Amino acid sequence: MTKGLSRQKKRDLVAYSFIAPNFIGFAVFTLIPIVFAFALAFLNWDGSNPITFAGLNNFKQLAGDVFFKAALKNTIIYCIGTVPLTMVASLALAIVLNQKVVGRGIFRTLSFFPYVASLVAVTSVWKMLFHPSKGPINNILYTYFHVPMEQLPQWFTGSLVLLSMILFSVWKYMGYYMVIYLAGLQGISAELYEAASLDGANTWQKFRYVTWPQLRSTTFFVVVMLTINCFKVYDIAIMLAGGGSGELTISSTVLVYYIYQKAFIDWKLGYSSAVAMVLFLMVFVVTMIQFRGQKKYQ
Amino acid sequence: MKRKVLSLMLAASMVVSLAGCGSSGTQTQAPAAPAETQQAQEPAQAAPAETPAADKQDAAADAAGGDAVTLKWAIWDKESTPYWQALVDAYKSVAPNVTIEMVDLGSTDYMTVLATELSGEGSDFDVVTIKDVPGYATLVQKNAILSLDDYISADGIDLSKYAGTTDQVTVNGSLYELPFRNDFWVLFYNKDLFDDKGVAYPTNDMTFDEYDALAREMTDTSFGAQIYGTHYHTWRSAVQLFAVLDGKHTILDGDYEFMKPYYEMVLNQEKDGVCRKYTDLKAEGLHYSAAFSGGDVAMLNMGSWFVATMIASLENGEYDADLCGNWGIVKYPHAEGVEPGSTLGTITGLSVTTASDTPDEAWAFVKWVSGEEGAAVMAETGNFPAIMTDEAMSLITGLEGFPTDDASKEALNVSNLYLEVPYAENVSEINSALDSYHGSIMSGEMTIDEGIAAMNEAVKGITN
Amino acid sequence: MKSARKKAIAGKVIVYAILILIAVLMIIPFIWMLSASIKSDREVFQMNPFVLIPENPKFSNYHDIWTKIPMLRFAENTIFLTIVVTFLQLLTSSFAAYSFAKLEFKHKNTLFFAYIATIAMPWQVYMVPQFIMMRKFGLNDKLLAIICLQAFSAFGVFMMKQFYEDIPNELCEAARIDGMSEYRIYASIMLPLSKPALSTLTIFTFVNTWNDYLGPLIYLKSEQKKTIQLGLKMFISQYSSDYGLIMAGSVLSLIPVLAVFLCLQKYFVEGVAATGLKG
Repeated sequence: MTKGLSRQKKRDLVAYSFIAPNFIGFAVFTLIPIVFAFALAFLNWDGSNPITFAGLNNFKQLAGDVFFKAALKNTIIYCIGTVPLTMVASLALAIVLNQKVVGRGIFRTLSFFPYVASLVAVTSVWKMLFHPSKGPINNILYTYFHVPMEQLPQWFTGSLVLLSMILFSVWKYMGYYMVIYLAGLQGISAELYEAASLDGANTWQKFRYVTWPQLRSTTFFVVVMLTINCFKVYDIAIMLAGGGSGELTISSTVLVYYIYQKAFIDWKLGYSSAVAMVLFLMVFVVTMIQFRGQKKYQ
Repeated sequence: MKRKVLSLMLAASMVVSLAGCGSSGTQTQAPAAPAETQQAQEPAQAAPAETPAADKQDAAADAAGGDAVTLKWAIWDKESTPYWQALVDAYKSVAPNVTIEMVDLGSTDYMTVLATELSGEGSDFDVVTIKDVPGYATLVQKNAILSLDDYISADGIDLSKYAGTTDQVTVNGSLYELPFRNDFWVLFYNKDLFDDKGVAYPTNDMTFDEYDALAREMTDTSFGAQIYGTHYHTWRSAVQLFAVLDGKHTILDGDYEFMKPYYEMVLNQEKDGVCRKYTDLKAEGLHYSAAFSGGDVAMLNMGSWFVATMIASLENGEYDADLCGNWGIVKYPHAEGVEPGSTLGTITGLSVTTASDTPDEAWAFVKWVSGEEGAAVMAETGNFPAIMTDEAMSLITGLEGFPTDDASKEALNVSNLYLEVPYAENVSEINSALDSYHGSIMSGEMTIDEGIAAMNEAVKGITN
Repeated sequence: MKSARKKAIAGKVIVYAILILIAVLMIIPFIWMLSASIKSDREVFQMNPFVLIPENPKFSNYHDIWTKIPMLRFAENTIFLTIVVTFLQLLTSSFAAYSFAKLEFKHKNTLFFAYIATIAMPWQVYMVPQFIMMRKFGLNDKLLAIICLQAFSAFGVFMMKQFYEDIPNELCEAARIDGMSEYRIYASIMLPLSKPALSTLTIFTFVNTWNDYLGPLIYLKSEQKKTIQLGLKMFISQYSSDYGLIMAGSVLSLIPVLAVFLCLQKYFVEGVAATGLKG
């Protein structure tokens, strides 16, 4: 008994020794500040003056905050649009690029392109393509579909701005998730496919019964990262929809922008943390649901 | 081959990272020490009232006898803004024992980076440049910058020289910054376009109705020969703040009904092709300078900083002189029954940090830059100093490339200056809310009435 | 037999059609960037007619970017940071991930939860407390600050763990029975098997560190410590309307990242051979 215990302890120690190098750095530079940020949600602080206790006041204020509610709504809509679209697109792309095709390397690099290209550069391309009066897209709508001038879509304002953000984000990030899927596909043993072929499986069946289940943990990872990154959307909104002073209107504002604004423009760090808590809870719930789903699946 | 490259890279990075760790170990100890000494000196700063008395003589005389001091000064865009270095060089001859160390925080997020830097304790900045009033309000509330009242009264600074701007940034009777640069808005116009059309130039005395009519007269919507009568940049100030020039309203009012006629004027102009559309400008990110220098914009309301840009860019050939080389400025249009020359202003100021352990020397520098001598340096580089002396005025109007007509010179005489954003406790939140709804109105997401109602609502929520 | 071949050909045609369509979609911004990088301000936004190469191409943009700001210095800093961060990230997170994926120990779930939870936190939320803390450590205006900030991300651990979980446990069990220590199992079995995952993580870390803006902005203030992204932003604010220059800078800053990707994507393919061994 005692021997078993000490063996378990030894195993624990070995395990901890693996984790330690990363965890120490992580704990000191990330975890501690985050725990502090958690606490901030219940405090008032401007980064300099003494901290005062706020209780639940920050959260109560949220309820009546028009900008917060708009940001919350926009972020959720953006997420619901982006996550499934990106996942499907990147998986399809990865499967195609995992085939033996000529110039595979070039195609892979090209599809990775939008991800590495600087956001300033690619957003300005998009804004030219979707330019409300001069852009080629509206030009086509006007010339070939006879949409009257006044009714041409305003891609970066009002109700269409979220759609533009979703499309842009799928385009920009699908190469990124394609890479993850590609690495996942490479991990599937060729023998499984051979066995399936012997059983007379067609392409769809091979995907359904070999590829998809084998990619389970990759998909889990992709969906979790996608969800988190969608909830954290910020730059895209500013670059595509930001006005003259970088401000976002009520139809394009998102949570992280609001967190940033409250923290670094208004220096209400407590209130900003409270908004972040809401964001955190949302991500947390989604991740837990997926965790459960993954466990059940196995 | 590739593998070799990679392993080499990894090996190299290992060596580098080890070296990095080694040196960092020694580095970490050095900065820790100043932090302690700074704290030890803090009580001494708590009573700055006594020290200025000793500072009564001229800063130069005082400093010349003093020990060598280094002041750390937060600025932005050092490369493209010549006056920072010019000021430092000029101050060197006044106070040779003082070394000014400039730290460039970049202009895009300047106030954010600065406020982060001054958070908590342990910053080593002595003098910081204040870019805008919302950022100023933040630093005052964070106790990051010193009240200059005692210094000002001890040194007998005459605040009336600052044309009333200092009153608009006074916080509970105290002043925390001294402006050294003061830009005000004027109307730029392209003389060639007016000559071609045979229309008389804009004047220094125009009402908004006259301005609107003139813009419409200059407009040509025929394809290929398009001329825009006027142009508004996407900033809120460029449209909304016409409304505060009557002197009866400010953006802190809380009821913004008074802005309606001006939004109507601009949106109607947009509809009739008199100016470019806000949504187009937003999509293009078109800079006002690119719009005006393109030669199809007859008038542009913009800050006086654009004067220096026009002169420099025409001189170095960046702007095509055939398109915009023949330009002039006049005073802002004014509301019916208000004297001409009322305009918007933006001040750039200097503050002394509470963390500075040499506040007296820092103040001496602030005083000099914001004073007459600093003003002369500013004017020589084509910028508008906060103290507009006759000398500074003639330096600017005498610059090679400044419009030679009398109206342009006269345009620089400002009668009333209203800051784009005056100080208020919640000014940064009010500013954000107004910015956002301005965007909603201009892009057509909301009607003017809806937008104004939303502004009223939002600001009520902030000030309560 | 014939119809099967026909089918195969049709399949190929469809695959290539899709690929070419995607390639066109993806390459548009690059072409636009290249084209814009040799244009003047006004030409950049000219749509009717759109010209790929302007009459007087401004190749000087590529020259100016090195002289207008100390770009060489910035590039050196960025390369240093990126290499160190990527190396540390790979090493520590694959190490930790092995433990999370293949070992049983006390508080495993709690510890892993700590990692996951922090991924969900936007950096903006804890930036200020972190900055104040880092300054206490004397890391303000030090390249080391960025290394500490970036090298121990939860993302790397999470990703590596997910990949390790797909490697069958039997492989480790067999090695344990053979008397291998956990460290040897990690080094001689897991590490070689995880090449695709390691290359993926390299790419992401490299791109992230290379493109990071806000971190360097807050921590690196003196000119000789700044990075390429800060340099590009400096351009944008100083030559706000000079799009050609900005695009030239963007093109240049892209090249190293693409080079790394091009080198590493070969390793995805190699992964097949490696995992093929496991049967």
